[in-house]
Amino acid sequence: MADIGLVRIRIPSSIKPGDVVKVRVLVIHPMEIVQRKDGKPVDKNYHFINRVVVSYLAKEIAQFETTQSISENPFFAFAFKATEPGPLRVTFLDTHGGKYEGTADIKFS
Amino acid sequence: MLRAPLRSGAWVTLATLLAGGCVQSEPKPVSPGLPPSPWISRAIPEARGDVKDSPDGTKVAVRYKGWSTEDFGRFRTYAYDDPRPDIPLARPPMPPITGDPNKGRSLFLNRSLGPCTGCHLIQGEDVWPAGDVGPDLSTYGDRRLPAEYTFNLIHDPRTLFPQTLMPAWGAAGLLKPEEIAHIVAFLGTQKGPLPSEKDPERDPRTRAKPQGFGDNLDPTNNPAVLRAEGADDLWEKKGPAAKACADCHAGGALSAMKGVAARYPQYVAQYRRVMSIEDFLTVHAPETTGRPLPEESGDNLDLTMRIKMAANGMPVSLDLAKPEHRAALERGKASFYRKVGQRGHACADCHTAANGRGADKFLGGRLLANVENGLTRHFPTWRTSQADVWDMRKRMQWCMTPLGMNMLAADAVEYAELELYLASFDQGKPISVPGIRH
Repeated sequence: MADIGLVRIRIPSSIKPGDVVKVRVLVIHPMEIVQRKDGKPVDKNYHFINRVVVSYLAKEIAQFETTQSISENPFFAFAFKATEPGPLRVTFLDTHGGKYEGTADIKFS
Repeated sequence: MLRAPLRSGAWVTLATLLAGGCVQSEPKPVSPGLPPSPWISRAIPEARGDVKDSPDGTKVAVRYKGWSTEDFGRFRTYAYDDPRPDIPLARPPMPPITGDPNKGRSLFLNRSLGPCTGCHLIQGEDVWPAGDVGPDLSTYGDRRLPAEYTFNLIHDPRTLFPQTLMPAWGAAGLLKPEEIAHIVAFLGTQKGPLPSEKDPERDPRTRAKPQGFGDNLDPTNNPAVLRAEGADDLWEKKGPAAKACADCHAGGALSAMKGVAARYPQYVAQYRRVMSIEDFLTVHAPETTGRPLPEESGDNLDLTMRIKMAANGMPVSLDLAKPEHRAALERGKASFYRKVGQRGHACADCHTAANGRGADKFLGGRLLANVENGLTRHFPTWRTSQADVWDMRKRMQWCMTPLGMNMLAADAVEYAELELYLASFDQGKPISVPGIRH
């Protein structure tokens, strides 16, 4: 996967004010898993996403703490209530200081 | 591989060629108009259709992990030079035993045999899933047909109905005469009046049609999209010959290969045969980059998907008038209608609708696709039931394996021409790769 940190957000094509909207987010990330040597976990700074922050209208609405048990190129789905038009931003933070962002524009139709 | 006993000339040739560091051979046409045969397979070992001798003297088919290893060598395949005849017609007398309806019912439902319920509905809420390719047998007993007749009908239906779709269960050795006698006894018990149907899903005629799996091009919905995108790395990566795909085809796979896949499968003059994208990559990649890209390998599938994605939304545009294509389409059509394997099925039995054939009906819980709608333009496709990407060839190899035919190599000419015939039904319809199916 060439594009580490590429974030893709899918929202329904038609949203009405007050709708509970299902959002699907995919991020390209290796999500390095624990290595073992002689049966013991190797102690190192593994490269994986450990925090996901969702903000809507520039206000944080959710935060997820994530672990290595999540797959490579993880996919998250969650729901939120769309009250006003504006940007929905999903930020992924990883253990190596990486910060990857994706934005979806919430519009009513 | 070299330690294995080399029995046939083809194997010796292949081993020599491999040892010489060159897998490309001069294809030999068997006769004018026919593609080179045998094509030396450039597929992964599991996909070559090899049959090996095991130490106990039996034959073991080499297939994909988890697939049956049973050898079906007695039965006809799609190979153009296959001399094996039809399974001989048989009409033995009914064994002089009293059939047990309970045994008959469990044989009827047994998933490792027919199962008969794959095509026929019978009574009982535990019958799931039943298909409707064959007649509903829920009231068969009311017809008061002689037991001998029903026995013949199951043992070898071709003796009564030459055009039947039903396998010759007895003549092909799938059911023993005693087992058939039990089934005959069971069918005699299927009498009306029928209880009212509680679950509309039980009866295939009232069952809801499957709805699909949503947008196949959405990476959050179809895992194959990410796999295909991963092939962009491979496109740029230099092979042992210090060349990458990108060195000749500039601008990335998506722009360099725009629309190319719409013309495939097609006859490639250089190799004197019809090839799909997958087939072409198995020879073109090693020749140019030095990197092997065997058929059914992950890299081959990913790159094929990426190249086909460069034609997404464009109509399938085969040159059906080309003389080589006309000849190949004829052979592909003949394969499509050829009865093969232990069960004596042809592709057409399940995938065309005329004359009461199976397309658009349920085979067990599966709705059989109709060739008229085009079967190929979403391949390679993500299979939710397998959690993997399958291309058209693996789908073809799988189709006939439970039906008792030894598969050919995934890159066999026979499959390529069959695929061309199938793709001719997709002509003009938009490509959408990777697909997503059960």
